[in-house]
Amino acid sequence: MKTKFSRRSSLLRMGGAIAGLLTLSAARAAKAAVQKVFVSTTAPNGYDPTKHKWLMCIDDTKCIGCGLCAEACKKENGVPEGPFYRTWIERYIIPKPKPGSDQTRGEAIVDSPNGGMHGFPEPTLSKDQIEHAFFVPKLCNLCENPPCVQVCPVGATFRAPDGAVLIDPKYCIGCAFCVQACPYGSRFLNPVTHTAEKCTLCYHRITRGLKPACVEICPAEARIFGDLKNLKTDDPIQKFYEKNRVQVLKPHLGTEPRVLYAGLDKEVR
Amino acid sequence: MRRFKLPPQILRLVLLTLAIVGSYLVARSFLTPASFGQYGWYRGDALAEIASRPPVFAGKQSCDECHSDILHKLAADAHKTLSCEACHGVSRTHTDNPDILPDKTTGSYCIRCHEANVARPAWLKQIVVKDHYGPKCTECHVPHQPTKTP
Repeated sequence: MKTKFSRRSSLLRMGGAIAGLLTLSAARAAKAAVQKVFVSTTAPNGYDPTKHKWLMCIDDTKCIGCGLCAEACKKENGVPEGPFYRTWIERYIIPKPKPGSDQTRGEAIVDSPNGGMHGFPEPTLSKDQIEHAFFVPKLCNLCENPPCVQVCPVGATFRAPDGAVLIDPKYCIGCAFCVQACPYGSRFLNPVTHTAEKCTLCYHRITRGLKPACVEICPAEARIFGDLKNLKTDDPIQKFYEKNRVQVLKPHLGTEPRVLYAGLDKEVR
Repeated sequence: MRRFKLPPQILRLVLLTLAIVGSYLVARSFLTPASFGQYGWYRGDALAEIASRPPVFAGKQSCDECHSDILHKLAADAHKTLSCEACHGVSRTHTDNPDILPDKTTGSYCIRCHEANVARPAWLKQIVVKDHYGPKCTECHVPHQPTKTP
């Protein structure tokens, strides 16, 4: 049988050959990509995120509200001036109930002027009107199930294997979905870079074996930081656990925070 | 019996689909960063990039390298939990080059912690500044040894 060559058939064959070549190279690329997923390499400075598990504990009975942590955080991380805080201090003032009311306490007044960086003004209530007053340091709660990561449409924010929830500024498109999703209000849009920003646990410090700036500077040791995978003997974290009854913020949301508080009041959200 | 023959329009459709999927996969392999997926659905290199920022605060152990005498005094008294940089200011440049003094403007002093505030815990010694004696704290108190008098 004689083979027939028409324009149509040869075009079709050429098309088929090109498609075949394309799929072949695509398959090779896909294979290489899959291999990359399973071969893990360490970070350039020798820090292996899979060998650490960071945990922040806050002993709220020790916080004196000096605001050094909020200030140190801004300096350490170059956070822009203005109402942008990666960590901040809130003051809770719980007034006594009105006489004759069936309440145990009045409605809590919460303030955080400048994130508590420059101290707190005298409250409008006099001392005998106040039932309780205390400070609460806040930061990213390092959720085990972070809502902010779930909503990111571009894979710019993620939970690193060491427990830090980080943002890849090169991937972030500044849509601010994560800012809305965070139930703890610990994210904001950086007014300079227009990307989302948050507490990184001072990732550049902890990967060098230093403590986060807020922990380093806290004069009352209200913040305790440690590595659950490399517990030392007499580790402050271990002591914190043994000494206190701990709780997390908003446990009903199922975010499983890795920031543990001791000595909180029920009003704290 | 007739041999089954793929209708030409289906064949064209299959080829077109293959070409589109193939070019998508090729484009994807070029556009996805090499470290994407190293630890999860994100760029693995981002971790090292975030970690590459130079630290600003030196940390207490770097102060200990030269000023261990003062740190010994500090450790024996009520201010043992204080970090040097809380009062003396950011000192990273000072630890790199001792000729450059710590940034005094970023330090803060006694009043920041010890001024009376209703929300401060009772264990902390507090004063009402306008009722407290003296224009200068250090006339009566030693910052490194707060229980001693000068």
